[in-house]
Amino acid sequence: MKDHFKSDRRNFLRGIGGTALALPWLESLGVNRTKTKPNLRAAWFYVPIGVVRRGFFPNEGGAAIPKFTGSRTEVKKDSNIVTGIHSLELTPTLEPLKDIKDKVTLITGLDRTFQEGTDVHAQCASCFLTSAAPYSVKQSPYPQSRTLDHIVATHLSKNTPFRTLEFSCNSHKDNKESIQFDNISWYDTEHVAPSMTDPRRVYNRLFGREGLRAYQNITDLVLEDARSMQRDLGYSDKNKFNEYFESIRSIEVQMERLEQMKEQISLSGIEEPADAHMPRGEYIRLMGELMVTALQVGLTNVATFMVGPERWDTPYMYESLFGKPRSHHQMSHNQGKFINDLLKVDRFHMEQYAYLINKMDSIKEFDGTSLLDNTIFTYGSGLGDGATHQYSALPIIVAGSGGGKLITGKHINLSKDSGPVPKKSGKYPQLYHGLPLANLWLTQAKALGLQINSFADSSGEIGQLIA
Amino acid sequence: MCFLVFAVFATFTCLGFGSEAKTSFDDKIKPFFQEHCLKCHGKNDKIKGKLDLREYNNHTDLLKDAEKIEDIISVILDAEMPPEEEPKIDEQKRILILDELNNRLAEAIKISKTSSRTPIRRMNRFQYANAVKDLLELRVEVYPLPERMMRDRSNYFKPETGKVPLKLTVSSRPLGKSGLIEPRLAGVAPFPQDLRAEHGFDNRGDHLSMSPFLMESFLKLSRSIILSENFNRKNCKLWPNLFEEPKDQSLLDEIIYERLEQFITRAFRRPVDKKTLARYCSHATQLIVSGKSYQNAMKETVSAVLASPRFLYLYDTNLESEHANKVNEYELASRLSFFLWGSIPDNILIKHAREKNLSKPVILRSQVERMLNDRRIKRFCDTFPSQWLQLDRIISSVPDPIKYPDFYYAPPNYRTTMDMMMEPLLLFETILIENRSIVEFIDSNYSYRSKRLSKWYDPKVEGRLGGPVTMAFERVSINDRKQGGVITSAAVMTMTSGPEETKPITRGAWISGVIFNDPPEPPPADVPTLDDDNSKDLKQMTLRERFSSHRDNPDCAGCHKKLDPLGFALDNYDAVGRWRDKYENGRNVDSSGRLFKKHDFKNIVEFKDALIIEKDRFTKAFVSHLLSFSMGRQLNASDSPTVDLVAKKVRESDYSLRVMIHEIIQSELFQSKIIQVKKE
Repeated sequence: MKDHFKSDRRNFLRGIGGTALALPWLESLGVNRTKTKPNLRAAWFYVPIGVVRRGFFPNEGGAAIPKFTGSRTEVKKDSNIVTGIHSLELTPTLEPLKDIKDKVTLITGLDRTFQEGTDVHAQCASCFLTSAAPYSVKQSPYPQSRTLDHIVATHLSKNTPFRTLEFSCNSHKDNKESIQFDNISWYDTEHVAPSMTDPRRVYNRLFGREGLRAYQNITDLVLEDARSMQRDLGYSDKNKFNEYFESIRSIEVQMERLEQMKEQISLSGIEEPADAHMPRGEYIRLMGELMVTALQVGLTNVATFMVGPERWDTPYMYESLFGKPRSHHQMSHNQGKFINDLLKVDRFHMEQYAYLINKMDSIKEFDGTSLLDNTIFTYGSGLGDGATHQYSALPIIVAGSGGGKLITGKHINLSKDSGPVPKKSGKYPQLYHGLPLANLWLTQAKALGLQINSFADSSGEIGQLIA
Repeated sequence: MCFLVFAVFATFTCLGFGSEAKTSFDDKIKPFFQEHCLKCHGKNDKIKGKLDLREYNNHTDLLKDAEKIEDIISVILDAEMPPEEEPKIDEQKRILILDELNNRLAEAIKISKTSSRTPIRRMNRFQYANAVKDLLELRVEVYPLPERMMRDRSNYFKPETGKVPLKLTVSSRPLGKSGLIEPRLAGVAPFPQDLRAEHGFDNRGDHLSMSPFLMESFLKLSRSIILSENFNRKNCKLWPNLFEEPKDQSLLDEIIYERLEQFITRAFRRPVDKKTLARYCSHATQLIVSGKSYQNAMKETVSAVLASPRFLYLYDTNLESEHANKVNEYELASRLSFFLWGSIPDNILIKHAREKNLSKPVILRSQVERMLNDRRIKRFCDTFPSQWLQLDRIISSVPDPIKYPDFYYAPPNYRTTMDMMMEPLLLFETILIENRSIVEFIDSNYSYRSKRLSKWYDPKVEGRLGGPVTMAFERVSINDRKQGGVITSAAVMTMTSGPEETKPITRGAWISGVIFNDPPEPPPADVPTLDDDNSKDLKQMTLRERFSSHRDNPDCAGCHKKLDPLGFALDNYDAVGRWRDKYENGRNVDSSGRLFKKHDFKNIVEFKDALIIEKDRFTKAFVSHLLSFSMGRQLNASDSPTVDLVAKKVRESDYSLRVMIHEIIQSELFQSKIIQVKKE
């Protein structure tokens, strides 16, 4: 009876809105014990507001502190490292990676394009993983479309309860910024995959005892309403309303699979977080551990993690760094005064990243490799420098080899020309000097098994990164 | 391209406008551009402010871009352009060109295909809580809402009396202790707060989408509500007519049908068709057959209704005809209730919708008056003013505890912020309930003050200061015009300051965005900072002197010329909103300036006078904010005729806020919908 209804519904889901939902039906649910290789995972660690270049990039330690006295042409990059593969030099900001140096790769020479028309920070995070080329989205001022995490999830998370998970270490209590600043993961233009920010809620959603089984009856009933309601809508509302069907559908899959994984999940041994204020470092590490555990037990194979929201210049406490609340964003506008404090913030974020990759490397999979070995876990920021607001010469680190697909332990410089593009007659004559960041996303997507030939504004794969 | 049907504009003929527009452009507008604008906006590739007038070579180019025409009108109107160093436009000529441009704007709007529809959207967190509370007639809150900044602790809020009492007690929701003791349903956890759109509100359709994470929250909510241990007869007024088992079991099916029909009609805010109703009824009866008690079966059914998209979503239907442009009566009822009550319509609105007379102007007016006098109007007071004034920003203000030690009191660090944020909110309620003029937002001769706040403004005030739990406020006369209104309130002054010093540009941007609905362009990416070094010279300067480098830099001058006079006019208020005549270095504060390049002022009182002279501009801005809130979307150029019309009516009725609400609701725009028929 139930099965019969479900297959009806599946057909129905396929037909709505004139578009087929490209979602796989519940196939091979059980954990496949006979397979020979662990699952591939992908995760992104987003750092807001750029970094201080001289602390982060090799050969830039002696560069001038950006003074903002004029246009972008005056911001010079002093690295002069030839393009190609180099041994990895740990600059002061990269120093926390020392114990795991041979499993990370620093990539320099990657640029993005800021599409004029919004605040300069607003596209940093919200379009970091976008699959839209600049100026290609007509209905929005943002070059925003389905993000890389969701694109690879269709391949990697076929059998997991959650296709993706979104984390943001945003402890702000005010409502100061819009969704563009708190989310790097988007289903589509203006369709946000909202971040989870409260560790207790994350715990209850992923590891809590209360399953979703009880909702089965409800979803059957409300889907009928949704179907009749969709007939009453105009064209574009019909399309937008597909969000509802997709959400219900995802939850049904989630219910089934969580039920089947109950035992496995209980073995993870993770404890419910206490309901108390946590210093910033502890909070970030706890959120990170929840993500790592979710990847470990197979709740999902794809996750995004924001170590803090973009801009949001409300000060908050970095308990281990400063005695008073500080605003990362406000400090970033005045490197002359705050450079040492900014370097502390950059290093603090790097320590959290290092903590998580060390943790992932300590988790062994059934074939003796580590969780990190089977993951591509990318550190990156939407700005090359928080002071200059350049969308170029971005700080990017890739940890893990994606099951041996990528080389590690190196510094790959992809371009000598990467850097801010000067305006001519009020316009940018070209989009970037270096290579597009999308080349990295294309390389990662292919390494993770996707069969695609381009991604956003990519110009090709990064051959040097491929093992 | 999509094809939009908006019957209001269906009567225009393109040809009718063509020739007039062409002559107007060639003979008047183009020569004007060449004489006054092109030098910086196109000539020799010089393009300031992202405006390249070379893109507008003929009348068709210009008419394609209503938003741009509106921008050009606004900078000429505000005397922002041409800049001071350029030749002035002769006043007669200015009036003529504004006339021409306004006519072209009207045409551009008529032929524009820019979509100005509000998309289908889910309820936000605030609306969901209200809707559930109203639907189930709960006596307790559904879940805590920090969105509600002010809580009534003395039952003072009685809009039906037309008066706000002179003394009242409130508490602060996001900061105070009292938030914890609000009676509510046990074990019900809300989904995350919906963020406010940039320069907008948290009910914006383009920001309210659905995701598995939220869907899960809605499913869990719908069950946790009915399963809550204090969801019972005492707390749910609807209980006897919904969850109490009928005595006559032989009529059970009929009674279930009847009860659910009433309940679902209210939940879905429109007539429910037989098929849908039958589905919910059979759900309930099957649960009973399978052994569940009547009460539990009904609870389960109710939880399904709460998870239904017909409850969760706000949407317009395409049922009437493909070319419908007027909302139907039920949709009008929902627009009204979500605008004013942040919730579903009540039985009276639904009754008028059923009788198809809600849209009759007289009935509509009396219904809106009823809604304004109903205590549920508190929800409007809980959302619109705090978001319009961006008061949420004060929650995160952390003045330097060493410089401003008395800002903090009582362990563990309560902040005077709590008292501060109540003041503008109480002023808003007074203006609304007592049918006062919106000009009082700029200058009022009264305000509500707690003892702590009175002492904050004037250290000579004696008396016991209130604690963090509740705050007693009193209406006091303001005789000193340095105070009164929202602009110079300690809340606004504090939240537009840094921890140690004021931020004149932030203050200027606040006035420009909030008071004149003209938010400045985002600052350039490569903005120079003020104090690159801590030299002694800088310490001897006033803030204004230190900013002079920005004004002298041609890249920065454009915005600074606009924002500086607004911000520096307020520099007599320090970073926590207290009056000062001198800076710490002993230099005098200079707050003089000129508003819109025509009203000179020497101090804050004269600045307020200048703002009052420009009150019609403020009125228009206020209408735009409120119209945007009422429609749940951003406004665009095609909405400007409605803004103008409403603003005119408000002017003619002594700037009444209530009249503004009535006129927005009576407007054709508020009662129209645009149905996108097909993809082109």
